[in-house]
Amino acid sequence: MKKSVLIAKNLTLGYFSGKSKKPVLKNLSFQLFENELTCLLGPNGVGKSTLVKSILGQLPTWEGELSLNGKLIDTFSNLELSKQLSVVLSEPVFPGNMTVGQLVALGRIPHTGWTGRLDNHDRGLIENALYLTKMESLKDERLVEISDGQRQKAMIARALAQDGKVMVLDEPTAHLDLVNRYQIMHLLRDIASKQGKSILVVTHDLEIALETADRLLLLNESLPLISGLPEDLVLTGQLDRLLPGEEFQFNIEKGKIEQKNIDSEVILKGNQTIAFWVKKALQKANIRRLNAPIFITEGDFTLIYLEKEFHRIGDLIDFLGES
Amino acid sequence: MKNSRQILLFFLLVLVLVFSFLLNISLGSVSIYPNEIFEGLFANSWLKNSHAQIILNYRLPKALVAVLAGVGLSLSGLQMQTFFRNPLAGPFVLGISSGAGLGVAILMLAGSAFGIAALSGGMSAWAIVGAGTLGAGLVMVLVSLVAWRIQDSMTLLIIGLMFGSAVSAIVSVLSYFSGADALKLFTVWSMGSLGGLNWSQVSVLSLVVVVGIMPIIISVKSYNAMLLGERYAKSMGVNPTYLRWMMIISTGLLAGSITAFCGPIAFVGIAVPHLARMIWKSADHRVLFPASAIIGSILLLLCDAASQLPGSAQMLPINAVTSLVGAPIVIGLVLRKNFSKEF
Repeated sequence: MKKSVLIAKNLTLGYFSGKSKKPVLKNLSFQLFENELTCLLGPNGVGKSTLVKSILGQLPTWEGELSLNGKLIDTFSNLELSKQLSVVLSEPVFPGNMTVGQLVALGRIPHTGWTGRLDNHDRGLIENALYLTKMESLKDERLVEISDGQRQKAMIARALAQDGKVMVLDEPTAHLDLVNRYQIMHLLRDIASKQGKSILVVTHDLEIALETADRLLLLNESLPLISGLPEDLVLTGQLDRLLPGEEFQFNIEKGKIEQKNIDSEVILKGNQTIAFWVKKALQKANIRRLNAPIFITEGDFTLIYLEKEFHRIGDLIDFLGES
Repeated sequence: MKNSRQILLFFLLVLVLVFSFLLNISLGSVSIYPNEIFEGLFANSWLKNSHAQIILNYRLPKALVAVLAGVGLSLSGLQMQTFFRNPLAGPFVLGISSGAGLGVAILMLAGSAFGIAALSGGMSAWAIVGAGTLGAGLVMVLVSLVAWRIQDSMTLLIIGLMFGSAVSAIVSVLSYFSGADALKLFTVWSMGSLGGLNWSQVSVLSLVVVVGIMPIIISVKSYNAMLLGERYAKSMGVNPTYLRWMMIISTGLLAGSITAFCGPIAFVGIAVPHLARMIWKSADHRVLFPASAIIGSILLLLCDAASQLPGSAQMLPINAVTSLVGAPIVIGLVLRKNFSKEF
């Protein structure tokens, strides 16, 4: 049995607007486990940030329980909580004059005395955090001189140095490019499994989450929270609940979201890979019906339609558009 | 090593501070050389009796006030810039100086506006200080009451600015209705002056400045956490509400008392923290607080020395000099490419 670190039971959360209560999340139950990377997915406005706020102890629970290591989060003081839980946010806030090393050292703030003097134990944890995030070589670089991806990794190192059991990351990769997103999520996965942390990542990247997460939490309006192994959720078709409406679906074979095939009557003959991309392009151009099949010849890449030859898909679509 | 560079810088800047202090007290309508000042202070042998008077009862307190004001205003500015995460915040954004101005304006102007001539005649320095402190304190209490109810530091900034302009408007109304003499008196006060304080006033001011520095020393670690913004600071165990009160108390005491005693002194609070960041290339408040204090003192001592117009008995108002020095510094900073990133 895995050890659960954070437990939510029938949790209800919300805000007060004036005198009226406005509940955002109702009856939420889930757990975060040790050594696991959990990804929280859901459309905008469904209450992901609200949930994160309450985990960070910044929003009192209305009903139900939210407990960390067996103690209710509401009963933690700010300082106690900061020793067990650290956070990385999506907005890039950083003072440019600070070095990466100094930023990571800020993570030790909850543990040091009033001047913030670091002892050997603190320094060891900072070095370790830099090592795990592969940021050692950038230790003395100023934050203004490194890239966005590196800065976010430095923020993760800072959260690591804070040395809590739980790390919460609110869309940590929102401002980053694809390669950096993959790198950071794999990094988090490594940290979770090797350092005994329990990590919760709020993200919109379904594909990366599927690949890296040990567990998914799916939040959707008006539906109960779904929790499970990513693979289970894929095979039981529950991922489609993330995609309200009929337009999109989750393609099990390819592991990604795509537009539902609107019954296209186009016939393509030849290499399957090429046929897939040609079909995609035709779908985008709203071409659903053709009078004759398209033949694909490999090697010199030729598309033959009604005895005309095309060497690029664009040319074919231009031709079809004109006729 | 970076650390040794920072320590060397401190050493150098303290030397510059000592030099500026000596320069400041030896310049004036009568030039008195530093060696004479040394002999006078330590061996009590002055060339002329009048020199002893000038140094001991005028220039020395004035130089000390310059140091106190430099320290206090720069420390207020640094706290506010970090707390509000805004590079253009200064000690006056919470309306503190306008409050002091209001107090003094009521004392000087309202008397004449309502036809009470008694006040404008024998106005003692203590009355002005008292009025300034009351005004600054009043605005501080009002801002604090509002601060109690709000969560967001940006809102506090805006409220401070609004209080400031409302208070300035009241001052304008008072000025409009007041007599020429009172108006001139108030205008001179609003130009600022470091001189004219006697030793008992200097000791009161030093006491208030020392008390005002206490909250900074207590919360230096929290200011470092605030560099990452309020949400991160909270996640590191910092209580922003507590820190906000510390900041209001500290800047209220520092900027409030200095404005009450010396009149408004512009730009030091905004410009000095930036100079400290630039020179020390650091964001660590354990470095920046002492660094800003030293640079603030040097800047005010030099500005005051420059305002004496060597060789002449005339003096420029200190507020004009700091503005003339400070405005180009701030413009230069803002024009630097990386300014917003480095902050």
